[in-house]
Amino acid sequence: MTQQSVPTLIQEQPDNSLKGNLSLTNVTNLLQFLSMSSKRGVIELVRYPSNNEGRIYFVGEELVSAQSGVLTGIPGFADLLSWEQGTFHFLPDIACIDKTIGLNVQHAILEAVTLLDHQANEKAINQNSEVEEGGFSMEPTERDSSEVMNSLLEVPGVDAVVVVGRDGFVIESAGSSSRVNIEELGASLAHSINGIEEMGSELNVNNFQDMFIEYGRAVIMCRPVGDAVAAIITPDASKLGVIRHKAKKLFVELGQSF
Amino acid sequence: MTVMRDTVVKALAKVQVQSDENGLIPEYEVLVNLLPVSLLNTFSERIMAAAPPERKAEVEAGLVRAAYECGYHTGCGIITSEIFSDVVMPMVTEDEKDILRGAYAAFTAWGWAKSGIVQLKEAEKMTIRAFDYYEADSGGQGLRGFMLRGLSQAFFDLAYAEPYPDGMDTYICHQTKGLEVGDSYGEFVVVKK
Repeated sequence: MTQQSVPTLIQEQPDNSLKGNLSLTNVTNLLQFLSMSSKRGVIELVRYPSNNEGRIYFVGEELVSAQSGVLTGIPGFADLLSWEQGTFHFLPDIACIDKTIGLNVQHAILEAVTLLDHQANEKAINQNSEVEEGGFSMEPTERDSSEVMNSLLEVPGVDAVVVVGRDGFVIESAGSSSRVNIEELGASLAHSINGIEEMGSELNVNNFQDMFIEYGRAVIMCRPVGDAVAAIITPDASKLGVIRHKAKKLFVELGQSF
Repeated sequence: MTVMRDTVVKALAKVQVQSDENGLIPEYEVLVNLLPVSLLNTFSERIMAAAPPERKAEVEAGLVRAAYECGYHTGCGIITSEIFSDVVMPMVTEDEKDILRGAYAAFTAWGWAKSGIVQLKEAEKMTIRAFDYYEADSGGQGLRGFMLRGLSQAFFDLAYAEPYPDGMDTYICHQTKGLEVGDSYGEFVVVKK
Protein backbone atom coordinates (compact mmCIF):
# COMPACT_ATOMS: atom_id res chain seq x y z
CA MET A 1 0.00 0.00 0.00
CA THR A 2 1.49 3.36 -0.94
CA GLN A 3 1.38 6.38 1.30
CA GLN A 4 -1.82 8.42 1.05
CA SER A 5 -1.29 11.85 -0.40
CA VAL A 6 -4.52 13.25 1.09
CA PRO A 7 -4.14 13.86 4.84
CA THR A 8 -6.51 11.75 6.97
CA LEU A 9 -7.44 11.34 10.61
CA ILE A 10 -7.33 7.59 11.29
CA GLN A 11 -9.20 6.26 14.33
CA GLU A 12 -8.36 2.81 15.67
CA GLN A 13 -11.08 0.36 14.68
CA PRO A 14 -11.48 -3.44 14.49
CA ASP A 15 -11.19 -4.88 10.91
CA ASN A 16 -14.76 -4.32 9.72
CA SER A 17 -13.72 -3.36 6.20
CA LEU A 18 -15.34 -4.43 2.93
CA LYS A 19 -13.22 -5.70 0.05
CA GLY A 20 -14.01 -6.89 -3.43
CA ASN A 21 -13.35 -6.90 -7.12
CA LEU A 22 -14.58 -4.31 -9.61
CA SER A 23 -15.50 -7.08 -12.03
CA LEU A 24 -18.36 -7.94 -9.62
CA THR A 25 -19.68 -4.41 -9.23
CA ASN A 26 -18.64 -0.93 -10.27
CA VAL A 27 -17.60 2.21 -8.44
CA THR A 28 -20.98 3.93 -8.95
CA ASN A 29 -23.01 1.05 -7.51
CA LEU A 30 -20.60 0.55 -4.62
CA LEU A 31 -20.62 4.21 -3.66
CA GLN A 32 -24.41 4.49 -3.98
CA PHE A 33 -24.90 1.40 -1.81
CA LEU A 34 -22.55 2.57 0.94
CA SER A 35 -23.73 6.16 1.01
CA MET A 36 -27.39 5.15 1.07
CA SER A 37 -26.58 2.88 4.02
CA SER A 38 -25.43 6.03 5.87
CA LYS A 39 -21.84 4.81 6.02
CA ARG A 40 -18.80 7.07 6.21
CA GLY A 41 -15.22 6.35 5.33
CA VAL A 42 -12.92 5.84 2.38
CA ILE A 43 -13.07 3.50 -0.61
CA GLU A 44 -9.55 2.66 -1.70
CA LEU A 45 -9.24 1.47 -5.28
CA VAL A 46 -6.49 -0.25 -7.24
CA ARG A 47 -6.89 -0.43 -11.00
CA TYR A 48 -5.77 -3.44 -13.05
CA PRO A 49 -3.49 -3.91 -14.87
CA SER A 50 -1.85 -0.50 -14.34
CA ASN A 51 -1.97 -0.67 -10.49
CA ASN A 52 -3.03 2.99 -10.34
CA GLU A 53 -4.53 3.93 -6.97
CA GLY A 54 -7.49 6.06 -6.07
CA ARG A 55 -9.58 7.07 -3.05
CA ILE A 56 -13.09 8.28 -2.47
CA TYR A 57 -14.03 9.83 0.89
CA PHE A 58 -17.65 10.22 1.83
CA VAL A 59 -19.86 10.88 4.84
CA GLY A 60 -23.33 9.44 4.36
CA GLU A 61 -24.74 10.96 1.20
CA GLU A 62 -22.05 13.62 0.89
CA LEU A 63 -19.07 12.95 -1.33
CA VAL A 64 -16.27 14.77 0.41
CA SER A 65 -13.20 14.13 -1.68
CA ALA A 66 -11.77 11.96 -4.43
CA GLN A 67 -8.34 11.35 -5.81
CA SER A 68 -6.99 9.38 -8.77
CA GLY A 69 -3.24 9.72 -9.14
CA VAL A 70 -2.61 13.46 -9.38
CA LEU A 71 -6.25 14.20 -10.25
CA THR A 72 -8.49 15.38 -7.40
CA GLY A 73 -12.05 16.67 -7.09
CA ILE A 74 -14.59 15.89 -9.84
CA PRO A 75 -11.90 15.17 -12.49
CA GLY A 76 -10.34 12.59 -10.15
CA PHE A 77 -13.75 11.13 -9.30
CA ALA A 78 -14.71 10.94 -12.99
CA ASP A 79 -11.53 9.04 -13.73
CA LEU A 80 -12.33 6.52 -10.96
CA LEU A 81 -15.84 5.96 -12.36
CA SER A 82 -14.32 4.76 -15.62
CA TRP A 83 -12.33 1.98 -13.93
CA GLU A 84 -13.69 -1.43 -14.85
CA GLN A 85 -11.01 -3.81 -13.59
CA GLY A 86 -9.37 -3.76 -10.18
CA THR A 87 -10.11 -4.07 -6.49
CA PHE A 88 -11.83 -1.95 -3.88
CA HIS A 89 -11.43 -1.77 -0.13
CA PHE A 90 -13.87 0.18 2.02
CA LEU A 91 -12.48 1.39 5.33
CA PRO A 92 -15.19 2.82 7.59
CA ASP A 93 -14.95 5.89 9.78
CA ILE A 94 -11.94 7.40 8.08
CA ALA A 95 -12.32 11.11 7.57
CA CYS A 96 -10.62 13.36 5.05
CA ILE A 97 -9.32 16.77 6.00
CA ASP A 98 -9.29 18.27 2.51
CA LYS A 99 -12.73 18.72 1.02
CA THR A 100 -12.25 18.74 -2.77
CA ILE A 101 -15.85 17.96 -3.80
CA GLY A 102 -18.48 18.48 -1.10
CA LEU A 103 -21.51 17.44 -3.16
CA ASN A 104 -24.36 15.00 -2.71
CA VAL A 105 -23.24 11.60 -4.08
CA GLN A 106 -25.89 11.52 -6.87
CA HIS A 107 -25.05 15.07 -7.88
CA ALA A 108 -21.33 14.27 -7.94
CA ILE A 109 -21.95 11.17 -10.10
CA LEU A 110 -23.91 13.26 -12.62
CA GLU A 111 -21.19 15.92 -12.67
CA ALA A 112 -18.53 13.26 -13.22
CA VAL A 113 -20.51 11.51 -15.97
CA THR A 114 -21.05 14.85 -17.72
CA LEU A 115 -17.32 15.51 -17.55
CA LEU A 116 -16.60 12.07 -19.01
CA ASP A 117 -19.08 12.81 -21.80
CA HIS A 118 -17.28 16.06 -22.62
CA GLN A 119 -13.92 14.29 -22.59
CA ALA A 120 -15.26 11.56 -24.90
CA ASN A 121 -16.65 14.23 -27.26
CA GLU A 122 -13.36 16.09 -27.39
CA LYS A 123 -11.52 12.85 -28.03
CA ALA A 124 -13.89 11.98 -30.88
CA ILE A 125 -13.51 15.45 -32.41
CA ASN A 126 -9.71 15.20 -32.19
CA GLN A 127 -9.76 11.74 -33.77
CA ASN A 128 -12.00 13.00 -36.57
CA SER A 129 -9.73 15.95 -37.30
CA GLU A 130 -6.71 13.64 -37.31
CA VAL A 131 -8.47 11.41 -39.80
CA GLU A 132 -9.41 14.39 -41.97
CA GLU A 133 -5.88 15.75 -41.91
CA GLY A 134 -4.30 12.37 -42.58
CA GLY A 135 -6.82 11.42 -45.25
CA PHE A 136 -7.13 7.86 -44.00
CA SER A 137 -7.90 6.06 -40.79
CA MET A 138 -6.38 3.08 -39.04
CA GLU A 139 -9.65 2.62 -37.11
CA PRO A 140 -11.70 -0.47 -37.92
CA THR A 141 -14.26 -0.07 -40.72
CA GLU A 142 -17.65 1.42 -39.88
CA ARG A 143 -19.94 -1.04 -38.09
CA ASP A 144 -23.54 -1.46 -39.18
CA SER A 145 -26.40 -0.47 -36.90
CA SER A 146 -27.12 -4.05 -35.75
CA GLU A 147 -23.57 -4.47 -34.46
CA VAL A 148 -23.68 -1.18 -32.59
CA MET A 149 -27.04 -2.08 -31.05
CA ASN A 150 -25.65 -5.42 -29.91
CA SER A 151 -22.80 -3.52 -28.22
CA LEU A 152 -25.41 -1.38 -26.45
CA LEU A 153 -27.10 -4.55 -25.21
CA GLU A 154 -23.82 -5.60 -23.60
CA VAL A 155 -23.89 -2.54 -21.31
CA PRO A 156 -24.89 -3.85 -17.86
CA GLY A 157 -28.54 -3.15 -17.05
CA VAL A 158 -29.75 -2.65 -20.64
CA ASP A 159 -32.76 -4.84 -21.51
CA ALA A 160 -33.56 -3.59 -24.98
CA VAL A 161 -32.56 -0.96 -27.51
CA VAL A 162 -34.83 0.48 -30.16
CA VAL A 163 -34.31 3.01 -32.95
CA VAL A 164 -37.41 4.91 -33.99
CA GLY A 165 -37.98 7.35 -36.86
CA ARG A 166 -39.40 10.78 -36.05
CA ASP A 167 -42.75 9.51 -37.33
CA GLY A 168 -42.72 6.57 -34.89
CA PHE A 169 -41.58 3.91 -37.38
CA VAL A 170 -39.61 1.26 -35.49
CA ILE A 171 -36.53 1.06 -37.66
CA GLU A 172 -34.63 -1.51 -35.63
CA SER A 173 -34.72 -3.13 -32.22
CA ALA A 174 -32.48 -5.48 -30.26
CA GLY A 175 -32.88 -7.38 -27.02
CA SER A 176 -36.21 -7.96 -25.40
CA SER A 177 -38.21 -6.32 -22.73
CA SER A 178 -41.30 -7.75 -21.13
CA ARG A 179 -41.90 -4.30 -19.65
CA VAL A 180 -42.86 -2.50 -22.85
CA ASN A 181 -44.27 -3.28 -26.27
CA ILE A 182 -41.67 -2.08 -28.78
CA GLU A 183 -44.18 -1.02 -31.48
CA GLU A 184 -46.20 0.98 -28.96
CA LEU A 185 -43.02 2.45 -27.55
CA GLY A 186 -42.09 3.68 -31.04
CA ALA A 187 -45.38 5.50 -31.50
CA SER A 188 -45.41 6.93 -27.96
CA LEU A 189 -41.82 8.06 -28.18
CA ALA A 190 -42.44 9.91 -31.45
CA HIS A 191 -45.38 11.78 -29.90
CA SER A 192 -43.33 12.65 -26.77
CA ILE A 193 -40.27 13.80 -28.70
CA ASN A 194 -42.46 15.96 -30.90
CA GLY A 195 -43.90 17.69 -27.86
CA ILE A 196 -40.48 18.12 -26.30
CA GLU A 197 -39.00 19.55 -29.48
CA GLU A 198 -41.87 21.99 -29.80
CA MET A 199 -41.28 23.08 -26.22
CA GLY A 200 -37.55 23.45 -26.93
CA SER A 201 -38.14 25.65 -29.94
CA GLU A 202 -40.72 27.79 -28.10
CA LEU A 203 -38.32 28.26 -25.19
CA ASN A 204 -35.51 28.85 -27.67
CA VAL A 205 -33.20 26.44 -25.85
CA ASN A 206 -31.91 24.58 -28.90
CA ASN A 207 -32.51 20.96 -29.92
CA PHE A 208 -33.47 18.10 -27.62
CA GLN A 209 -30.41 16.05 -26.64
CA ASP A 210 -31.39 13.67 -23.89
CA MET A 211 -34.48 12.33 -22.15
CA PHE A 212 -34.94 10.03 -19.16
CA ILE A 213 -38.34 8.79 -18.09
CA GLU A 214 -38.54 6.80 -14.87
CA TYR A 215 -41.60 4.62 -14.38
CA GLY A 216 -42.28 2.17 -11.58
CA ARG A 217 -41.24 -0.85 -13.66
CA ALA A 218 -38.94 0.59 -16.30
CA VAL A 219 -36.63 3.46 -17.11
CA ILE A 220 -36.45 4.71 -20.69
CA MET A 221 -33.51 6.77 -21.81
CA CYS A 222 -33.43 8.27 -25.28
CA ARG A 223 -31.25 10.40 -27.51
CA PRO A 224 -31.35 11.56 -31.10
CA VAL A 225 -29.26 9.42 -33.47
CA GLY A 226 -29.01 11.13 -36.83
CA ASP A 227 -32.55 11.72 -38.04
CA ALA A 228 -33.97 9.09 -35.71
CA VAL A 229 -34.21 8.58 -31.95
CA ALA A 230 -32.65 5.71 -30.01
CA ALA A 231 -34.14 4.48 -26.75
CA ILE A 232 -32.70 2.19 -24.12
CA ILE A 233 -34.95 0.27 -21.74
CA THR A 234 -33.61 -0.64 -18.33
CA PRO A 235 -35.46 -2.07 -15.31
CA ASP A 236 -34.52 0.68 -12.84
CA ALA A 237 -32.39 3.78 -12.41
CA SER A 238 -29.59 2.21 -10.33
CA LYS A 239 -27.23 1.80 -13.30
CA LEU A 240 -28.26 4.90 -15.18
CA GLY A 241 -24.95 6.70 -14.63
CA VAL A 242 -22.92 3.84 -16.04
CA ILE A 243 -25.36 3.22 -18.90
CA ARG A 244 -25.31 6.89 -19.82
CA HIS A 245 -21.53 6.96 -19.82
CA LYS A 246 -21.02 3.74 -21.76
CA ALA A 247 -23.83 4.36 -24.22
CA LYS A 248 -22.67 7.84 -25.17
CA LYS A 249 -20.07 6.90 -27.78
CA LEU A 250 -22.24 4.05 -29.07
CA PHE A 251 -25.10 6.51 -29.67
CA VAL A 252 -22.69 8.68 -31.64
CA GLU A 253 -21.67 5.63 -33.69
CA LEU A 254 -25.31 4.64 -34.16
CA GLY A 255 -26.08 8.13 -35.47
CA GLN A 256 -23.91 7.42 -38.51
CA SER A 257 -26.44 4.85 -39.72
CA PHE A 258 -29.57 7.00 -39.47
CA MET B 1 -45.33 18.37 -35.19
CA THR B 2 -44.44 15.90 -37.87
CA VAL B 3 -46.49 13.13 -39.44
CA MET B 4 -47.30 10.54 -36.80
CA ARG B 5 -47.34 7.13 -38.35
CA ASP B 6 -49.71 5.49 -35.87
CA THR B 7 -52.27 8.26 -36.34
CA VAL B 8 -52.18 7.83 -40.13
CA VAL B 9 -52.35 4.03 -39.96
CA LYS B 10 -55.30 4.08 -37.54
CA ALA B 11 -57.22 6.63 -39.61
CA LEU B 12 -56.60 4.97 -42.97
CA ALA B 13 -57.26 1.46 -41.71
CA LYS B 14 -60.84 2.53 -40.95
CA VAL B 15 -61.53 3.52 -44.56
CA GLN B 16 -64.07 1.23 -46.22
CA VAL B 17 -63.26 0.19 -49.79
CA GLN B 18 -66.11 -0.87 -52.03
CA SER B 19 -65.50 -2.14 -55.54
CA ASP B 20 -67.91 -1.43 -58.40
CA GLU B 21 -69.52 -4.05 -60.67
CA ASN B 22 -66.19 -4.47 -62.53
CA GLY B 23 -64.22 -5.09 -59.33
CA LEU B 24 -62.57 -1.66 -59.55
CA ILE B 25 -62.36 0.72 -56.64
CA PRO B 26 -62.62 4.41 -57.48
CA GLU B 27 -60.13 5.95 -55.04
CA TYR B 28 -57.43 8.63 -55.21
CA GLU B 29 -58.56 9.88 -58.63
CA VAL B 30 -57.70 6.49 -60.17
CA LEU B 31 -59.18 3.01 -60.25
CA VAL B 32 -57.56 0.42 -58.02
CA ASN B 33 -58.39 -3.22 -57.49
CA LEU B 34 -58.16 -5.86 -54.82
CA LEU B 35 -56.32 -8.99 -55.94
CA PRO B 36 -54.28 -11.62 -54.09
CA VAL B 37 -50.54 -10.96 -53.74
CA SER B 38 -49.85 -14.48 -54.99
CA LEU B 39 -51.23 -13.47 -58.40
CA LEU B 40 -48.56 -10.76 -58.76
CA ASN B 41 -45.81 -13.04 -57.48
CA THR B 42 -46.81 -15.91 -59.73
CA PHE B 43 -46.90 -13.60 -62.74
CA SER B 44 -43.49 -12.10 -61.88
CA GLU B 45 -41.83 -15.45 -61.28
CA ARG B 46 -43.28 -17.03 -64.43
CA ILE B 47 -42.14 -14.19 -66.63
CA MET B 48 -38.70 -14.22 -64.98
CA ALA B 49 -38.43 -17.98 -65.42
CA ALA B 50 -39.46 -17.75 -69.07
CA ALA B 51 -36.80 -15.16 -69.88
CA PRO B 52 -33.44 -16.39 -71.19
CA PRO B 53 -30.49 -15.58 -68.87
CA GLU B 54 -29.26 -12.68 -71.01
CA ARG B 55 -32.68 -10.99 -70.84
CA LYS B 56 -33.52 -11.49 -67.16
CA ALA B 57 -32.20 -8.03 -66.21
CA GLU B 58 -34.44 -6.53 -68.85
CA VAL B 59 -37.50 -8.39 -67.52
CA GLU B 60 -36.63 -7.34 -63.97
CA ALA B 61 -36.37 -3.71 -65.11
CA GLY B 62 -39.78 -4.11 -66.80
CA LEU B 63 -41.40 -5.33 -63.59
CA VAL B 64 -39.93 -2.39 -61.65
CA ARG B 65 -41.06 -0.06 -64.41
CA ALA B 66 -44.64 -1.35 -64.18
CA ALA B 67 -44.67 -0.67 -60.45
CA TYR B 68 -43.07 2.72 -61.05
CA GLU B 69 -45.62 3.91 -63.64
CA CYS B 70 -48.47 2.71 -61.45
CA GLY B 71 -46.89 4.29 -58.36
CA TYR B 72 -46.20 7.62 -60.06
CA HIS B 73 -49.77 8.19 -61.25
CA THR B 74 -51.56 6.52 -58.33
CA GLY B 75 -49.15 8.20 -55.91
CA CYS B 76 -50.06 11.63 -57.24
CA GLY B 77 -53.71 10.70 -56.74
CA ILE B 78 -53.02 9.56 -53.21
CA ILE B 79 -51.11 12.60 -52.01
CA THR B 80 -53.64 14.98 -53.51
CA SER B 81 -56.67 12.98 -52.38
CA GLU B 82 -59.26 14.21 -49.91
CA ILE B 83 -58.48 11.53 -47.37
CA PHE B 84 -54.72 12.26 -47.48
CA SER B 85 -55.50 15.97 -47.05
CA ASP B 86 -57.74 15.24 -44.07
CA VAL B 87 -55.51 12.72 -42.31
CA VAL B 88 -51.92 13.51 -43.21
CA MET B 89 -51.68 17.14 -44.32
CA PRO B 90 -52.63 18.67 -40.95
CA MET B 91 -49.50 17.03 -39.49
CA VAL B 92 -47.15 18.13 -42.27
CA THR B 93 -44.55 20.63 -41.07
CA GLU B 94 -41.51 19.44 -43.00
CA ASP B 95 -43.07 19.61 -46.48
CA GLU B 96 -41.91 16.80 -48.78
CA LYS B 97 -40.23 14.86 -46.00
CA ASP B 98 -43.49 14.63 -44.08
CA ILE B 99 -45.49 13.82 -47.20
CA LEU B 100 -43.17 10.86 -47.79
CA ARG B 101 -43.54 9.78 -44.15
CA GLY B 102 -47.30 9.91 -44.66
CA ALA B 103 -47.01 7.92 -47.89
CA TYR B 104 -45.12 5.06 -46.23
CA ALA B 105 -47.58 5.06 -43.33
CA ALA B 106 -50.31 4.71 -45.98
CA PHE B 107 -48.44 1.79 -47.61
CA THR B 108 -48.44 0.09 -44.24
CA ALA B 109 -52.11 0.84 -43.51
CA TRP B 110 -53.21 -0.55 -46.86
CA GLY B 111 -51.03 -3.65 -46.60
CA TRP B 112 -48.74 -2.79 -49.53
CA ALA B 113 -45.55 -2.89 -47.46
CA LYS B 114 -44.81 -2.53 -43.78
CA SER B 115 -42.20 0.06 -44.45
CA GLY B 116 -40.80 3.39 -43.35
CA ILE B 117 -38.05 5.92 -43.91
CA VAL B 118 -34.69 5.28 -42.27
CA GLN B 119 -32.72 8.17 -43.68
CA LEU B 120 -33.61 11.02 -45.99
CA LYS B 121 -31.36 13.64 -47.54
CA GLU B 122 -33.74 15.99 -49.25
CA ALA B 123 -33.77 15.68 -53.05
CA GLU B 124 -30.65 13.49 -52.86
CA LYS B 125 -31.13 10.15 -51.21
CA MET B 126 -33.67 8.12 -49.27
CA THR B 127 -33.24 4.79 -47.47
CA ILE B 128 -36.32 2.70 -46.82
CA ARG B 129 -36.60 -0.33 -44.58
CA ALA B 130 -39.43 -2.82 -45.00
CA PHE B 131 -40.39 -5.69 -42.74
CA ASP B 132 -43.01 -7.11 -45.06
CA TYR B 133 -43.74 -6.54 -48.74
CA TYR B 134 -45.36 -8.30 -51.68
CA GLU B 135 -42.34 -10.21 -52.93
CA ALA B 136 -40.91 -11.09 -49.51
CA ASP B 137 -42.04 -14.69 -50.02
CA SER B 138 -42.01 -14.79 -53.82
CA GLY B 139 -39.94 -17.97 -53.95
CA GLY B 140 -37.64 -16.59 -56.64
CA GLN B 141 -33.88 -16.39 -56.43
CA GLY B 142 -32.14 -13.14 -55.49
CA LEU B 143 -33.59 -9.77 -54.53
CA ARG B 144 -37.21 -9.54 -55.67
CA GLY B 145 -38.69 -6.35 -54.23
CA PHE B 146 -39.78 -5.03 -57.62
CA MET B 147 -42.98 -3.39 -56.40
CA LEU B 148 -41.44 -1.42 -53.54
CA ARG B 149 -38.50 -0.42 -55.74
CA GLY B 150 -40.90 1.06 -58.28
CA LEU B 151 -43.10 2.71 -55.65
CA SER B 152 -40.17 4.24 -53.76
CA GLN B 153 -38.68 5.67 -56.94
CA ALA B 154 -42.10 7.04 -57.93
CA PHE B 155 -42.76 8.73 -54.60
CA PHE B 156 -39.31 10.33 -54.50
CA ASP B 157 -39.92 11.65 -58.03
CA LEU B 158 -43.28 13.04 -56.90
CA ALA B 159 -41.68 14.68 -53.86
CA TYR B 160 -38.50 16.16 -55.28
CA ALA B 161 -38.48 16.07 -59.09
CA GLU B 162 -40.35 18.44 -61.45
CA PRO B 163 -44.07 18.75 -60.65
CA TYR B 164 -46.36 15.97 -61.88
CA PRO B 165 -46.39 14.81 -64.68
CA ASP B 166 -42.99 16.17 -65.76
CA GLY B 167 -40.78 14.67 -63.09
CA MET B 168 -40.60 11.05 -64.19
CA ASP B 169 -37.28 9.18 -64.20
CA THR B 170 -35.33 11.66 -62.14
CA TYR B 171 -34.44 9.15 -59.43
CA ILE B 172 -33.75 5.44 -59.32
CA CYS B 173 -34.24 2.87 -56.57
CA HIS B 174 -31.92 -0.04 -55.76
CA GLN B 175 -32.69 -2.89 -53.40
CA THR B 176 -29.75 -3.65 -51.11
CA LYS B 177 -31.24 -6.19 -48.68
CA GLY B 178 -34.21 -8.51 -48.82
CA LEU B 179 -36.32 -10.77 -46.62
CA GLU B 180 -36.47 -13.10 -49.64
CA VAL B 181 -32.70 -13.68 -49.47
CA GLY B 182 -32.59 -14.22 -45.70
CA ASP B 183 -31.93 -10.69 -44.44
CA SER B 184 -33.89 -9.53 -41.42
CA TYR B 185 -35.47 -6.72 -43.45
CA GLY B 186 -35.66 -5.36 -46.95
CA GLU B 187 -33.68 -2.20 -47.68
CA PHE B 188 -34.29 0.12 -50.61
CA VAL B 189 -32.14 3.11 -51.51
CA VAL B 190 -33.34 5.88 -53.84
CA VAL B 191 -30.71 8.11 -55.45
CA LYS B 192 -30.48 10.48 -58.37
CA LYS B 193 -30.29 8.73 -61.76
